[in-house]
Amino acid sequence: MTAEVLKYTLEQVEALELAPGAQHEKLEGWVPTLATDEDLKQALEKALDYRGDVTLTLKSGERIEAFVFNRKSGATLADSFVYYFTPAASEKRKVSYAEIARMEFSGKDRAAGKHWEDWVKAYNEKKAAGEKIALMPEALE
Amino acid sequence: MWTVSTYVLKKKLSGNKRYPLVLMLEPLFRCSLACAGCGKVQYPPHILKKQLTPAECFAAVDECGAPMVSIPGGEPLLHPQIVEIVNGLVARKKYVYLCTNALELKRRLPEFTPSKYLTFSVHLDGLREHHDFAVCREGTYDIAVAGIQEAVKRGFRVTTNATFFDGTDPNNVRAFFDEVMGMGVEGIVLSPGYSYDKAPDQNRFMGRARVRRLFRAILSNRKPSWKFNMSPLFLEFLMGDRKYDCIPWGMPAYNIFGWQKPCYLLQEGYADSYKELLETTDWSAYGVPSGNPKCANCMVSCGYEAPAVIDGFGTLKGFWGMVRGTFSLYKDQHAQKLLNEYSASGAAPLVQIDEPVHSLEETNV
Repeated sequence: MTAEVLKYTLEQVEALELAPGAQHEKLEGWVPTLATDEDLKQALEKALDYRGDVTLTLKSGERIEAFVFNRKSGATLADSFVYYFTPAASEKRKVSYAEIARMEFSGKDRAAGKHWEDWVKAYNEKKAAGEKIALMPEALE
Repeated sequence: MWTVSTYVLKKKLSGNKRYPLVLMLEPLFRCSLACAGCGKVQYPPHILKKQLTPAECFAAVDECGAPMVSIPGGEPLLHPQIVEIVNGLVARKKYVYLCTNALELKRRLPEFTPSKYLTFSVHLDGLREHHDFAVCREGTYDIAVAGIQEAVKRGFRVTTNATFFDGTDPNNVRAFFDEVMGMGVEGIVLSPGYSYDKAPDQNRFMGRARVRRLFRAILSNRKPSWKFNMSPLFLEFLMGDRKYDCIPWGMPAYNIFGWQKPCYLLQEGYADSYKELLETTDWSAYGVPSGNPKCANCMVSCGYEAPAVIDGFGTLKGFWGMVRGTFSLYKDQHAQKLLNEYSASGAAPLVQIDEPVHSLEETNV
């Protein structure tokens, strides 16, 4: 069974030895084509799962660099909203789907390229060399 | 125990079918560790710098009414107002579990006041080498243990919490239990890992069959000195002796984004209130019966401990099972055979990428 499975039976779930997990697309730098309403909705769904900032360009010309974390869908694009935080503002903000003209996955994907296997390899190498090893959080500034 | 049992009984008598037992209150995502497998802290810096205010924390707790509040993160001790938050929750007579990697615990302890309502739940994933390996920094085990010892000395309630991933050697875990209980902690909290969508790697997570097999090996044939700060029925669920359906609203998560839909693990949107979370989440889309692949490997406490607790305090059969489970050592020859298989295969003390497959039956249900 793979991550592409859309629905499991109870028997399949109970028999799972390894969980397939999510498959992440390489979205960093991607500028989706927003030709249709469906294109926009799908791109915003990907933005919700993205582990970095996106840049929304509104039809007014305003550019918003933001971390998109939620959406509430209405019957039309005008009454569907995407919710975000920007680096400069402390409060949550929202914008209507209908106002969005362009999207770009402009921020760094904060999880990309970090693999457990890399850590195991580095750990074993340092251990063999008799050195200590530590992964530190990235600086926030 | 009395508080939780009366809470469950009151909800049952009032006919309330969806209610919270534990609020998972995440006041920030910032952390002082950078564990390679973590799926909780993969955010841009401006998100990691954000944090809930004490007032926001209290409003969430007051709205949902859960008798227990778990404070994970991120690392809660990095929150500059964490003492104010904890004191406010204790004043509300909430049982608070402050989950910490304990890097700052010893230094911060003088700021806290011991209380029956406050427990420090210290992240320890195993013995020294295993823990340091799991959290990707050498020396953390010794710092955490020093924090635990100081907290115990000062009269605080302390538990440890551990997450186990694929490749864990149950013999090693059992040795870890011996060591932890020797530190004077009240009990142990444990959980199988979950494949967070936002985690960098997605191939380190056990399916349900493997979870049951591992936990049956770990938790059978217990030593009398081991104490667990968890529902005995939930531990039996992990061992494959019970079946429960997930109730994600039982341990809802609140953080800087709002009330997380549908649960602490999945991020499929946010609600502005617990009420909105209950009313606008399509609960039928989640849990094993739904067939949702995102729920397929989950046997985590945030979905399955609440039904175990409700079973234990809400039914006579469940209550008897809980009493029996509290005192049972779970003698099990099959589990002993599985432990011996691990020993014979020369399982490494650290979680490995590839490990031998152990084929013993994994469930008693």
